[in-house]
Amino acid sequence: MKCIFKNKRISSIITVVPSEEYRFDDEYPLYKMTETQAKRFKKMMSLDRHRIAPPEVCASDLCLFGVQRLLDGGVLKKEDIDAILFISQTPDYILPATSNVIHGKLGLDHDVICLDMNQGCAGYLTGLQQACLLLEIPAVSKVLLLTGDTSSKLVDRRNRISYPITGDAGAATVIERCREEKTIDMDVKNDGSRYKALVIPGGAYRMPSSAETLELREVEEGVIKCLEHADMDGAAIFNFTMDDVPPQIQDVLSFSGDTWDSIEHFFLHQPNPFIVTQMAQKMKIPPAKVPNNVVSLYGNCASVTIPLNIALNCSEPMLTGTHRVCLSGFGVGLTWISAVLDMGPLDFCKLVDYKAT
Amino acid sequence: MDKTEFYQRLAEILDVEEVKPENVLKDFDGWDSLAILSVLAMADAKYGVSIKAEEIRSVVTAEDLARLVEAKRK
Repeated sequence: MKCIFKNKRISSIITVVPSEEYRFDDEYPLYKMTETQAKRFKKMMSLDRHRIAPPEVCASDLCLFGVQRLLDGGVLKKEDIDAILFISQTPDYILPATSNVIHGKLGLDHDVICLDMNQGCAGYLTGLQQACLLLEIPAVSKVLLLTGDTSSKLVDRRNRISYPITGDAGAATVIERCREEKTIDMDVKNDGSRYKALVIPGGAYRMPSSAETLELREVEEGVIKCLEHADMDGAAIFNFTMDDVPPQIQDVLSFSGDTWDSIEHFFLHQPNPFIVTQMAQKMKIPPAKVPNNVVSLYGNCASVTIPLNIALNCSEPMLTGTHRVCLSGFGVGLTWISAVLDMGPLDFCKLVDYKAT
Repeated sequence: MDKTEFYQRLAEILDVEEVKPENVLKDFDGWDSLAILSVLAMADAKYGVSIKAEEIRSVVTAEDLARLVEAKRK
């Protein structure tokens, strides 16, 4: 579905990662890998390190830390926040919505829309779309989009397939109405018939939490998990990223009147460096236009890979100029959303380490 | 399709000297989810075919896999 939004812009991005960094070279014995297996895995997935939040730190803490920095720096004023969108798969509570908890912690007045959405790797784009819709309400001129996950809590530390590429992070993005004639072109697609390709089967209400859902099993060598952990069909997800996402990106580019050449940066979601490389090759986009270092340095942090990528690799240019960019998020649902827009100059663009307050 | 070249590429993925058509893929130590991902990527990048998750699970020998890729190219 094509969505066109006018007179909206991303004005600030702050990405927050836990300060705890773990290296693959130190962790691989935990996965029961031989040195040869570890080398092969490390090379293929370009693994190096990732950031994992301590048990007591939630996604909302990471996001809130970022918001506080924006407030302290005078980039954002509390009274200007008209809506809080919190997008995560690891909320604080089953109820209430985490956006309400954040609203309370920030001490905002009552005239604020609070909305939680359950989304993963397409979450940044889902958030951008929802923020743009909220900005159609005349009383809303600034939306605080919070995307974050502590995905490390959805996977066993000894799971050799998933844990090495998992990362925790949070981001706060300010999206606002603007006077300039700016257009955001977007394409949104969903296929719920494939939801089983990535699912946590137990722990909610289809299969309530029990001793059985928490029982850890070694489902294949080096893959320990329980029914309350993420269960992914890697081959099916690979098919999805190669068969469905590149045509969508191509489509949204022709829709927005762009070509590969007119786009400066492709900020694709990064499930792992291998898949991003394959996607770029398939679309014949020069690798220099597709920064692909997020997972090697921070891990796959779901809806945060896109803002992290921007803050890590393009902070300076984003603060000073306007850049034609393509954003693409794809994953659980299955959901895939791609957008083309002008980004910058931003008021703020930074990657910071979380410190407990 | 040059089958010798295909078996060579498969051998590289499995980290072995040689793969023979009659070899059962599951018998290789290296035939794990990483190898499956590499095969899907290789089929896509080198032969322009998309092998489905369920298709690769039904493959037994290296020759079955080569036939699957060849059939999809047509």
